[in-house]
Amino acid sequence: MKEHTMAAGEPILECRHLRKEFGGLVAVNDVSLRVERGRVHSIIGPNGAGKTTLMNLISGIYKPTRGEVFFKGQPITAVPLHRRAHMGIGRSFQITNIFPNLTVLENVRLAVQARSAANFNVLRRAYSYGDFITEAMRAIQEVGLTPVASMLASALPHGGKRKLELAILLAGAPELLILDEPTAGVASEQVREMIGNIGQIRGQADRTIIIVEHNMNLVMNVSDYITVMHLGSVLAEGTPSEIAANKAVQSAYLGELYSDVMDKAAGGDHA
Amino acid sequence: MHIQKGFQWRAVGKNWLLIAAFILLIVFPFLVGVLTNTDPTARRGLSVYWQGIMIELLIYGILTMSYNILFGFTGVISFGHALFFGLAGYLMGAFQRAPELADGGLLIGILVALVVCAGIGLLIGVATLRLKGVYFAIFTLAIAEMVYIFLSRYEYTGSEDGFTLAALPEWFDPTRSRLTFYYIAAAIFVFTFILIRRLMESPTGAVLLAIRENENRARTIGFNTLTYKLMAIVLAGILAGVAGILFTLLNKKVGPEMLGTAYTVNPLLMTIIGGAGTLLGPAVGAMGLRLLELQLRNVQIPLGDVVLDIGRILPIILGAIFILVVIVFPYGIVGTFTRWRLNQRARHAERLAKQAEALKSVS
Ligand SMILES: Nc1ncnc2c1ncn2[C@@H]1O[C@H](COP(=O)(O)OP(=O)(O)OP(=O)(O)O)[C@@H](O)[C@H]1O
Ligand SMILES: [Mg+2]
Repeated sequence: MKEHTMAAGEPILECRHLRKEFGGLVAVNDVSLRVERGRVHSIIGPNGAGKTTLMNLISGIYKPTRGEVFFKGQPITAVPLHRRAHMGIGRSFQITNIFPNLTVLENVRLAVQARSAANFNVLRRAYSYGDFITEAMRAIQEVGLTPVASMLASALPHGGKRKLELAILLAGAPELLILDEPTAGVASEQVREMIGNIGQIRGQADRTIIIVEHNMNLVMNVSDYITVMHLGSVLAEGTPSEIAANKAVQSAYLGELYSDVMDKAAGGDHA
Repeated sequence: MHIQKGFQWRAVGKNWLLIAAFILLIVFPFLVGVLTNTDPTARRGLSVYWQGIMIELLIYGILTMSYNILFGFTGVISFGHALFFGLAGYLMGAFQRAPELADGGLLIGILVALVVCAGIGLLIGVATLRLKGVYFAIFTLAIAEMVYIFLSRYEYTGSEDGFTLAALPEWFDPTRSRLTFYYIAAAIFVFTFILIRRLMESPTGAVLLAIRENENRARTIGFNTLTYKLMAIVLAGILAGVAGILFTLLNKKVGPEMLGTAYTVNPLLMTIIGGAGTLLGPAVGAMGLRLLELQLRNVQIPLGDVVLDIGRILPIILGAIFILVVIVFPYGIVGTFTRWRLNQRARHAERLAKQAEALKSVS
């Protein structure tokens, strides 16, 4: 594995020798990862490379078979999922994961409420917390769902559900945002909008983003740093131009399909 | 502006219905008295008969509302709800008829029954709520059946016959003071409804709904869902216990059938028919279905030479009604209506927002 070329400083997230087995299958194999604060760090790799599994280990949905996860210098390997959310790790899902029979507003409002001290207050009405609604509406506006805020989430078209997924994540105000294929299944004309959303999210203070993506255009556009996974292991790491120029990556994963994008990215290092 | 106004009108409309139901509940005994020309305070007669029916409906309503907390609002399917209903009856009865406790036994019995219901809910919850879906349901069924078998075999609890209560104080006796007992049951029914409504409007209730909709997502945004599910099962257990206590007092006896699957399956079906996850649905479903059952039980239709005994084919009729309701009202009677209204409102809001945007782009 190659040494870090990025500016030193304490990483917001560090994975050490993570391994996850499902029965006999090794989905994540000895993965070590440093994610620097304030960066957009992309994880790419072919289907089944173990990207989602790695995100599940970081957010706490799975416990690793071996290895450790550190968040802001603290070991969190044994910290349960909901507590990691309170520590500042938020995530969105590759397969849309919302509250279908609640309104769009309620979906997002719940994420605001989750980080408050109001959860066990049975004496007040949930909707009497005006600031929760204001905050939720702000997140809804950020992704452009304001006109449909009072609609049931299940009634949204697929693209709308993907945006709602983002709004729920934003409403949790996490320090570390994990986006698992935010453009999965989104029509190509909407992908640009999504890129805009992510650019906007990125522009906001002190946010670190881990993004798993297959869309190379998006990856090359928004990333500060890229980790390439293959068969459960890290194949390569580097800046977008370094990755674009990496022959091993090209042959193992990117192939001819993305050569245009890669060449362009290799030409002008924007990071 | 328009949206705001719509909201408030809806709140008024909704409460108007509830207020009407509340008033009906209060005047019911006297209404029946006038309609049947009988004395509501007498010990016999049609007034007393209808009060008795209504008390039973209210008890079914409370039991079904308690089941709805788990099934309808939290999305937890329990097959052991009768455990709380029956056990509370047995415990209350055991203390009530203990001679050394005299009249104090009733109060002690009620308290013990409710505390045990809460405790058992907590125990079952801690032991099994981590199990997913059907495993939890089967575990609760197994526990309820175990207690059922124990109570129906154990001599001290009266084996298969159960036991009757000792004499109740006159003012509290559902036979001698039925009108008083009616108002006690009605008050507890109203209290249960308001309690559940307040809970579901609170932030805690919002989390229960989130768990029903998508527990994993609820955990991912930071809710310790196990804690909330425990709260739900404890509250549901206590309220089912309340229903069991009232039922035992009304019948002045307990028997193992109170722990039978009927008292789990009926609330389940009644919740579905009325509308799982709605506030009014379970009460509507329970009271409507039970009333139908009671009324059809003794109906006989002469068809030429043969007499069709509706009571004997009642399960078939109720089954057919169930299938029909599920087809016509996929979200239950109240649920389907509420959903339709919610969609209507969302479309209205969307239209307004679009108009506003159009106006903005014009000016
Ligand atoms: N819960 C699970 N149980 C068993 N096997 C699993 C589980 N989750 C993932 N896997 C397996 O682990 C491997 C890695 O899956 P993962 O979803 O992490 O890949 P991925 O890189 O996210 O792929 P994609 O690009 O298709 O989303 C796959 O072979 C997958 O089948
Ligand atoms: Mg994946």
